[in-house]
Amino acid sequence: MSAHNDDKRPDEVDLSDPKLSRFDVYREGLRRDDIEILHYEPRYAKPGSKVEKRMERIVASMFLGSGLFATLFVVAYIWWPWEYEGAATWRDPQTWYTPILGVTLGLSLLLIALAVLTWAKKLLPVEELVQDRHDGGSSPDDRRFAESTVDTVVDDMGLKRRPFLVKAALLGAAPLGLAAVAPLGGLIKDPGDMLTVTGWNAEKHNDGEPVRMMMKDGALVRPDMVATGGQITVYPAIEGGASNEFASSPTLLIRLRAQDAETLRDNLFPMYQDVDALWGDFVAYSKICTHVGCPASLYEQQSQRLLCPCHQSQFNVLDNATPVFGPAARHLPMLPLGVDDEGFFYAKSDFLVPPGPAFWNRPSLPEEDEQ
Amino acid sequence: MAASAKRRRGWRKRLGALARFTGALVIVGGLYSVFSPSLYAQEADDSANAVDSEVVKGQELYDTSCISCHGDNGEGIDGRGPSLIGVGSAAVEFQVNTGRMPLAAQGPQAPAGQPSFTEEEAEWIGAYVEYLGGGGTVPDDLAAMVEDADTAEGGDLYRVNCSSCHGYAGGGGALSSGAHAPSLDGVTDEELYQAMLIGPQNMPTFADNELTPEQKADIIAYVQYVVNDDRDPGGVFALGRFGPSTEGLAIFLVGITSLLLATLWIAGKS
Amino acid sequence: MKRRKGTSESLMTKAGGELDDRFKLAGPARNIMNKVFPDHWSFLLGEIALFSFILLLLTGTFLALFFEPSMTHVVYDGSYVPLQGVGMSKAYESALNLSFEVRGGLIMRQMHHWATLLFMASILVHMLRIFFTGAFRAPRETNWMIGILLFWLGFFEGFIGYSLPDDGLSGTGLRIAEGMTESVPFVGPWVSAALFGGAFPGDEVIARFYIIHVFLLPLGLLALITVHVALVFVQKHTQWPGPGRTEHNVVGFRMFPNYIMKQVGFMLLIWGVITAMSGLFQINPIWLFGPYEASIVSSASQPDFYVMFMDGLIRLFPSWEFRAAPYFTLPAVFWPGIVGMGLSVMLPLLYPLLERRFAKDRGHHNLLQRPRDNPARTSLGVMVVVLWVVGVVSGGNDVFAHAFHISLNAMTWAGRIGIVVGPIVAYYLTYRICLGLQQHDREVLAHGLETGILMRDPDGRFYEVHQPLAEPDEHGHTELEYSGSWVPKKMNRVGVLEPTDRGFFKSIEEPEDNGARKGERRDEIEAGKQ
Repeated sequence: MSAHNDDKRPDEVDLSDPKLSRFDVYREGLRRDDIEILHYEPRYAKPGSKVEKRMERIVASMFLGSGLFATLFVVAYIWWPWEYEGAATWRDPQTWYTPILGVTLGLSLLLIALAVLTWAKKLLPVEELVQDRHDGGSSPDDRRFAESTVDTVVDDMGLKRRPFLVKAALLGAAPLGLAAVAPLGGLIKDPGDMLTVTGWNAEKHNDGEPVRMMMKDGALVRPDMVATGGQITVYPAIEGGASNEFASSPTLLIRLRAQDAETLRDNLFPMYQDVDALWGDFVAYSKICTHVGCPASLYEQQSQRLLCPCHQSQFNVLDNATPVFGPAARHLPMLPLGVDDEGFFYAKSDFLVPPGPAFWNRPSLPEEDEQ
Repeated sequence: MAASAKRRRGWRKRLGALARFTGALVIVGGLYSVFSPSLYAQEADDSANAVDSEVVKGQELYDTSCISCHGDNGEGIDGRGPSLIGVGSAAVEFQVNTGRMPLAAQGPQAPAGQPSFTEEEAEWIGAYVEYLGGGGTVPDDLAAMVEDADTAEGGDLYRVNCSSCHGYAGGGGALSSGAHAPSLDGVTDEELYQAMLIGPQNMPTFADNELTPEQKADIIAYVQYVVNDDRDPGGVFALGRFGPSTEGLAIFLVGITSLLLATLWIAGKS
Repeated sequence: MKRRKGTSESLMTKAGGELDDRFKLAGPARNIMNKVFPDHWSFLLGEIALFSFILLLLTGTFLALFFEPSMTHVVYDGSYVPLQGVGMSKAYESALNLSFEVRGGLIMRQMHHWATLLFMASILVHMLRIFFTGAFRAPRETNWMIGILLFWLGFFEGFIGYSLPDDGLSGTGLRIAEGMTESVPFVGPWVSAALFGGAFPGDEVIARFYIIHVFLLPLGLLALITVHVALVFVQKHTQWPGPGRTEHNVVGFRMFPNYIMKQVGFMLLIWGVITAMSGLFQINPIWLFGPYEASIVSSASQPDFYVMFMDGLIRLFPSWEFRAAPYFTLPAVFWPGIVGMGLSVMLPLLYPLLERRFAKDRGHHNLLQRPRDNPARTSLGVMVVVLWVVGVVSGGNDVFAHAFHISLNAMTWAGRIGIVVGPIVAYYLTYRICLGLQQHDREVLAHGLETGILMRDPDGRFYEVHQPLAEPDEHGHTELEYSGSWVPKKMNRVGVLEPTDRGFFKSIEEPEDNGARKGERRDEIEAGKQ
C-alpha cells in the first residue's frame, strides 16, 4: 500500500513552508494516499449554534441513560431474586429475572449505540472523498523484482540442479505426513455387529435364555397390562436394557383388536409366519424408524398407522408396518413374541432383519425386496 | 403376496376399517348384554331412583343429540358413528365436556370446541351409556392423588408415553392425513385421566395395568406443572414453545428486520 | 515523518512520538485512518455476522466455565422440580445447572443461542446481497469462497452446539446425523463407529463434540473471518455505480472518525438487540425436553432454522432405496442428506468460477450490478431462494400442519411439488420482472420523466409532458446512455444522486435545520479552523 507513496509528484507541497495551516498539511497527507476531498463542511453553519447544542444534549443524555440502565442491570443482577423455586406465576419476582436482565442490559447497549451513531450522523462534518483504487497487480518493476528474487532463492538452494535431493526430501516427508495423521487411527473402531444385533439377542446378552420384555422402570410385561388399542414401549429385560447402551432395542408392543389382528395375520410376511411372530392380538415392532432412526412411536389406534415425527414416514400396523407414506422405504422389523410359563412376554429371537436406518451392506431378505 | 395387488386393495382396506371396527363393537356389546342382563336388573332393583332418573334424563338427551350417528341404544350406525356399548361414562364425559361431541361434521377427527351440554348433562348421558355397557371410570379422589403425585416420575412417563404425539411442551402435534394430537393447554385433571383411560379416537388406551392410577396421576401432575402452572423462566414470550421453527421465524422477524431498519438509518444521508 | 515545529507539544503528540520512534507507525496509521469507505445500507449486513460472532465468543467463554462435556450417568437433584431424581448425563445436568443454579446463566445461554441464529441468518442475508449485486466477481472470488466456507463452518458449529446439552431434542438430531452417516456406501458404518466410539450414542460423542465446538471450529471461523475482513480491506470495498464513481476509485467517507464510529455504534446496537431478545424471548428450553433417551421423541422435532433446509429435503425425498441382493443397499437419505449437502457446499463455492466461464467475463469489477441488470443471475438466485424456502417450510411442515390444521400428508405433497415447480416459476417471473424494470429505466433515460401534465397539441391530440433528465446537447438530443446506475422515477428526485426527501414512513421535504439562516451558505472547511 505504501508503494505509491514514494511517487514524486510535481505539485508536492513543501512541508517546511511555515505558512502552512494544519488543514493544508492534513490535505497533503490525504493527497499522498491518493485521496481527494470532494466535499467537506461542518454539519452546522455556526459552531455552538442552538441546533448543535440541542443535538449535543440529546447525545449526552443517551450516554447518561445508557449508564443508568447499566447500573440498573448490575443492581438487578445482584439483588433481584433469581433462584428457581418451583412452579411460579408471573406474580413471582424470580420469573422476571431474565427479562429484567435482558431489558436493562439491552437498553443500555441500545442507548450507547444510538449515542455513538447519532454523534457520527449528526455531529461529524458532512464529507465526501474519493480515493484511487489501484486495482490489479503490482507494477511491472515489482513483478520483475519478485520473480528474480524467487529465482535466486531457487537457484541458491539448487532445486533444479539437485533433482535427487528434491525427490529424496519428498520421499522422506511423505511418510512423516502420514505419521502425523496416523494417530487419528485411534478413533477407528470396527462397527462389528453393532448395527445388526440388538439387546434382544439371547446368545449375546442373556446367556442363551430368551430375553423378556420390561417397561422403562424395569417391570416385566404381561399380556393383561395392555388394553385393546393400547401400546407400550418395551425394552430387553437385561442389565441396562432400557438405557442408551441398547439404542436400537426399544420396541413398541401393541395390542390390536381381534379382527385387526386377523387382518395382520393374513398379511404377515412369510418370514414372520414361519416364526409365528404374533402372540394373540399382540404385535411388537421396532421403535427405531428404518429411515434415519428416530423413534417411530406415534401409534394411531384408529387409522392403525405408526408415524415417525422426524420425517413423517407412516407405517401400516396391519401390514407388517410397511411404509405407506414418507421417505422410509422398509418396514419396521417385527420382534417375534412369546409368553413364557410365568406369563411374561419374551422375544423368541432377535429381529429377523436389522432395525433402524440402512447401511450399504445391510443384509436384506426377499420379503423386503417385494415392497 | 404381490405388492401391486396389495396396493390396489389398500384403500379399500382402510375404508372398511371403520365399518369392521363398528361391527365388532356391536357384536361385543351385543354379547355383553346377552350374558349380563341380570346384573343390570339387579342393579336397577338395588339402587335408588336417583340413579335411574339420571339414566332416564341421559337417555332423553341421547335420543335428541346422539342417536343420529350412534344409533338406537348406542348400537352405532355404519359409516356414521361407532357403537357406544362398553365405552363407559369416562369416555362420554371426555367427549362431551371437551366439545368434541356432538360432532358438527364428519372429518379426519373430532375437533375440541365449546361444549354443547353442561357438565351435569354430560354426566347424565354418561350414566346412560354406562347403563348400556360399562367402561372405565375416573377415581373419585383424583384431586388428592394428583396433589400427592411425583412430578418427576410423571415427567419420565410422559416422555415415554405421551410426548411423541403431544410434544415435550404439551402443545400437541400433527398426525397422519389431517389428524392431530391436541394441545394439553387448559385441559382438566379429569379430562387427562379419561383420555388416558379410554384412548379417544387415534389415541392409544393406557389401561390401569399398564399405567396404574397413581402413575396416571403422576403424569397429570407433570402436565399441569409444565403446561399450565409453571411460567417460562426464559423470557416474556415462549414463542408458543414450538421450538426451533418459531425461533427461526423470530430471528428473521425481530432480529434481522430490526437490524435491517437500523442499517437503513445508519447509512442513510442525514 | 518529521515532527512539525510550532505545534504544541501535548501529551498525545509526545506519546505518539515515542511509539513512532519504536514502531514506525506514522505512515501506516495515517494511511489507515484516511482510507475511504463507500456508504450504503447493504454494505453493513456482513457486520451483523461479525459482531454476533464476537458476542458468541464472549458468551461461549462464560458457558464453558460451567458446562461439563461428560456423558457420565448422574441423578439430577437441582432446583427444577419436574426433573428431580431423573437419571441423565453429566452434560445435560450441567446445562440445567447453568440455567437454574448459576446467577444470570440462563440469559447467557439464551444470548449464545440467539446470537447463533442471528449469526447464521445475517450470513444468509449478506450472501444474498453479495450474490445479487455481483460483488463476488473478480477480483473477489476468493472472498466469496471464504464466505461460503464460513457459512458451512457455522452450520456445523451450530449443529454441534445444539447437540452438546444432550437433551431430548439434541439427541434426536444426533440420531438423524448418525442415520445419514451410516447411509454413505462402504465407509458409513465405520465413520459412524469412529464418531460415536462404537454403537450410537456411546459415551464419547459429547466430549468429542465439545473440543470441536470450543476449539477446532471457532479457530477455523476466527481464522477465516480474519482473512475475510482483511481481504475486504486490502481489495477495497465495491461501490454502486453513479456519477463520479468508476472502476478505479472509491467514493465515500474516511475510516476515522466516520466509518469507525458507525461500526462501533452498530456493534453495540446488534449486541443490544441480541440481549433484549434474549431477555424477552425464551429459546431452547432444555428443561422441557428431558435427557436424551433412544426410545423417546417429541412431535415437532426440528433442528435450528439453518439446518431445517436439509431436514426439509430429507422429509420431501421419496422412499427410493436401491437394493442389489444380497449385499448392497443405498438408502434414500443418501441423496438429500449426503449428495444434497455436498452440492449445497460445492455449487455455491464454485459459482464465481462457473459464471466467469459461462458469461465469458474475465475482467475485474469494482462497480456493483443492480439485480435487474443481470437477469439470468438474479433469476438463478431467486430460484435458489425459493428452493431454500420450500425446504425450510417443509422442515417444519408438521408444525405448520398442526398450527394451521392442514393435513400433514398434504403438506408433504405440496412441498414435493413446490420444490420442483416453484423454482422454475420463480426463474421465469424474476427474469420477466428484471427485463421490465430495465425497460422502464431505458424509457426514462430516453424520453424523460412522466410529469403528469397533459397537453393538447393543435391537432387536438393529448400528450403527456416528459421532463428530460439531461440538458439538450448541440443537436438537441436529451437521451442518456443506460449505465446500470440509479435512475430517478419521480420529479422531486431529479438532479441528485440520492433522494433528497428524508423521513422513514413519510417523506419530509424541508431541508434539515442546520442552524443556518435562510439563504446562508456553509463554507467548506478550508483553513483548519480550530
